Amino acid sequence: MSKLMDIKYGLAATFNSAKELYDAAGKVRVEGFKEWECYTPIPVHGLDAQMGVGRSKVPCFTLLGGVSGFCTGMLIVWFMNAFDYPLIVGGKPYFSPIYPFPVFYELTILFAAFGTLFGMFFLNRLPRHNHPVFEHPSFGRTGDDKYMIVIEIEDPKFDDEETKDFLKSIGGKSITMIREPIDS
Amino acid sequence: MSQISTKDIDIKLLAGAVIGIGIGFAGLLIGLSNGDNAPFLGWLWGSAFWLSIAIGLLMLVMIFRIFNSRWSPVVRRQQEHGLAVFPWLGLCFLPLLLVALFGQENAGILWSWINPSSPTVDGITVADDVLHQKKAGYLNLYFFSIRLIFYFAVFCGLSYWMRKVSFTQDHDGDPKWTHLGMKVSAIGIPATALSLTFGAFDLFMSLEYQWFSTMYGVWFFASGIRSALAITIIGCLYLKNKGTLNGIYKQAHQYDLACLSLAFTVFWAYISFSQYFLIYSANIPEETFWYNIREINPNTGETSAWFWVSMGLIFGHFFFPFLYLLFYKNKINGARITFIALWILAFHLLDLYWNIIPGREIVPGAYVGYEARPVVGTHLFWGLASLIGIGCLCIRVVIKSFNSQIAEIVPVRDPRILDSLNHHE
Repeated sequence: MSKLMDIKYGLAATFNSAKELYDAAGKVRVEGFKEWECYTPIPVHGLDAQMGVGRSKVPCFTLLGGVSGFCTGMLIVWFMNAFDYPLIVGGKPYFSPIYPFPVFYELTILFAAFGTLFGMFFLNRLPRHNHPVFEHPSFGRTGDDKYMIVIEIEDPKFDDEETKDFLKSIGGKSITMIREPIDS
Repeated sequence: MSQISTKDIDIKLLAGAVIGIGIGFAGLLIGLSNGDNAPFLGWLWGSAFWLSIAIGLLMLVMIFRIFNSRWSPVVRRQQEHGLAVFPWLGLCFLPLLLVALFGQENAGILWSWINPSSPTVDGITVADDVLHQKKAGYLNLYFFSIRLIFYFAVFCGLSYWMRKVSFTQDHDGDPKWTHLGMKVSAIGIPATALSLTFGAFDLFMSLEYQWFSTMYGVWFFASGIRSALAITIIGCLYLKNKGTLNGIYKQAHQYDLACLSLAFTVFWAYISFSQYFLIYSANIPEETFWYNIREINPNTGETSAWFWVSMGLIFGHFFFPFLYLLFYKNKINGARITFIALWILAFHLLDLYWNIIPGREIVPGAYVGYEARPVVGTHLFWGLASLIGIGCLCIRVVIKSFNSQIAEIVPVRDPRILDSLNHHE
């Protein structure tokens, strides 16, 4: 039999409006927290910048995918047509960057799309079936009328009492410690 | 509505227009008297550059209209001022049409098929050339003249309506103008698409009437949109820095215009490559000569200077802008995007040069009977004069439109204006 235990995940504070959350997020950033997240029922424009989140890294995966697709296409054509089984088709050279270009760019697009999709999955740590914040009793309301900031225990600046006071000082309501149940 | 330029700049532009067009026009008269086609090619090149930009602007305005796009009205108003140039561009093409109609023995000086007794590279005359006989139902002077007039009627009429629906709404705020604008665009987009396609066939492709490419019109469209976007970006940034559009033209507008530039960079490459690819694959002499004279000296088979221009287009007009515009910072930074917009305009000019200039000149003693026109020649001088002259004229007309108090800085009573002002990434 396994005994049900739990570990601390982070401190959650709720806010009643996008403006309150937006202002609070700025203060959390200024305070120097790194491991924290905002949960909102609607997209809040400019929140990324307010949280100090940089641009997505997905384009790097897209570029990587595109370049590898281009090279794969060239390699396929060169290997098949010029190396493994040299064959003259339509009076064209064994290998040339021109006649097989559709192959190159189709593979560039395909691999770039793969890079984008799987890069996004990788960076978002997907697929993921559960998340500790779901343990919060009223987390469902962040899909309705509440805004929430969660500062994780992982954060180097995290301290049970101080962070709780800090969240209170920036206007957070119903501050709750989220506990993640684990099997032991 | 602040004044864009002082009287000083206006006088300079007027002087540039008079001198440039004067030199170009003098060239046409000289060419007509001694049978030299270089001034005509130059004039066609110079006017084609500004025409392509104006057509691109017209298409963009109508596309913004028909999609009822939320972000665009702020940008669209600036483009609408650019549409004022069409009647003037029509006047710039008039001398070429008049020479074709009334040039007598020199009627075919630019478009050789207009004169049935023009010699061809095969040693016969146009009248005996089966490649012209089969096309004569389309490529004949009367139909050609009617078409040219029709194209400019379409461009002028649509640009008049696009300006009218937008500017009138500033005064009465009636939403019917928005609906009318969408309806005119619904008819205007196919009308402009057909006019610019057949216009490109008639004005540029028929310079070598034996050659044909169905991609040609789309190439002209793609080039036009690219250069129109470049001009739009430069113009909006200029107005922003001057203060007129400060706080109105936002980073989000800038980013979207740059994304469109990236998209049409790829589209231009796709079309240009497809044209080459089909002709390369089919390998039919009637078609391949057009690329041959842009790569090699047809008599010796050696690489010619045109080869380097061609390479310049591949790398300078596609690869460099493509890779450059992939980066987010290059799209939103004012100096960086201005650089690439100017770069695209310069290479668009080279692209038109590459398409218009290198025709086949009959040289009796030559191995294949003709030589390709060189990269640098008198056509370049006449072309630059026309380019600057017509450019000064067009810019002056646009500035006059901006200063005429005909419209507000942005379409203040457009139903979409709030969305456009609050546009964000």
